[in-house]
Amino acid sequence: MQPSADLEQLMVRYQQGDAAAVTELVQRLSPQLHRFFLAQFVSRRYADDLLQETWLRIHQVRHTYRPGEPVLPWLYALARNVRVDHFRRTRRREDRERQMEELPATPAVQPADPHGPDVEAMLRELPESQREVLVMLKVSGMSIEEVARATSSSVGSVKQKAHRAYEKLRRLYEA
Amino acid sequence: MRPEEFPEILPGAAPDAALTERIAASMAQDLKPVRPLPPTGTTVVRLLVVFLAIVSLGSAILGFSGLLHLSPGAIAVIFPVLAGLALLAATASANATTPGSRRRFHPAVLMAAGCAVMATVFMLVFDDHSLGSFVPEGLVCLRAGLLWAVPTAVFTWLLLRRGYAVDRAAAGVACGMFAGLAGLSVLEFHCPNFRLWHIVVWHLAVVPISAAVLAVIYFFGSKRRDAELMQ
Repeated sequence: MQPSADLEQLMVRYQQGDAAAVTELVQRLSPQLHRFFLAQFVSRRYADDLLQETWLRIHQVRHTYRPGEPVLPWLYALARNVRVDHFRRTRRREDRERQMEELPATPAVQPADPHGPDVEAMLRELPESQREVLVMLKVSGMSIEEVARATSSSVGSVKQKAHRAYEKLRRLYEA
Repeated sequence: MRPEEFPEILPGAAPDAALTERIAASMAQDLKPVRPLPPTGTTVVRLLVVFLAIVSLGSAILGFSGLLHLSPGAIAVIFPVLAGLALLAATASANATTPGSRRRFHPAVLMAAGCAVMATVFMLVFDDHSLGSFVPEGLVCLRAGLLWAVPTAVFTWLLLRRGYAVDRAAAGVACGMFAGLAGLSVLEFHCPNFRLWHIVVWHLAVVPISAAVLAVIYFFGSKRRDAELMQ
């Protein structure tokens, strides 16, 4: 987990054009962004693509980060945006290809990592919005307020999604 | 294994070091200092100045017939509510164009609630339920309201164009609501037709119509911009 003040300082230095800050930000935040994408059950190759696209977008709109604001909600809001755009593009392309070739679609989802397949199976059972909230809270270590900002929703909505996700996981675990 | 232990065991293959190095190097290659967006408060104040300027100009050109015929009680209720809604819409617009901003309500919910509040205010203030020339008079007001929503939308876009909307349609709804409220305010200053249904239907329609139009424009406009950004 990242000390937020430290990340904020890095972001400010990045906005000022400090190349060392860019490298440090990419090195420090890429693993958790990559994990965020993998947790949506995309293949490793897709996760790599999404990571690159996210950093490209971050770079293009880095001026929209306001100094003094938390970095992670800003970063994850952009990462979600990239993921949604990527998903729409992929779905359109796959639809076109299916129409043209009428071949059965290749499963887009592949297990990304052999660790804990039972956890993956349980996570698959969660609706995407609940899974996303859970990953941000538990993997990225964000607070509920930060997750609410990143997902453009209210704190109450995030709490509700997290609660439902925990309940469902508990039920699955006990079953 | 308990659900609380998931962070330790979730799929977590780290990206290749070569990949992150390549990303960092390509970002560092094109690294210029950038000016961050101003604080939300500053943007909101600028938007409200635009709102005030356009409403003043519109009312000055069309005339203040409505204001002159309204009772002091009606003025004391209608205009503060409009100002409050404009403040909320300006804040929602500024937040919608900044990734990771706090959002208490979806702009569409805010717009629906705002319209409901304004409709309630009108029902409390006006009691003439006759229809008169409902459609012809209504269309004149709708056109005038939308006409003044257009410059507000243009200036709003100019002020917010450096931002980035992660939810494009929501940003359009917020900005459209703000522009529509400017059009509605001009009508309240200008229109001396105090028939309740004329005001509730035709004046208020400026807000959702502006919001819907701008939602479509923002959605497709931002989509094109995103495509350009990724090239």
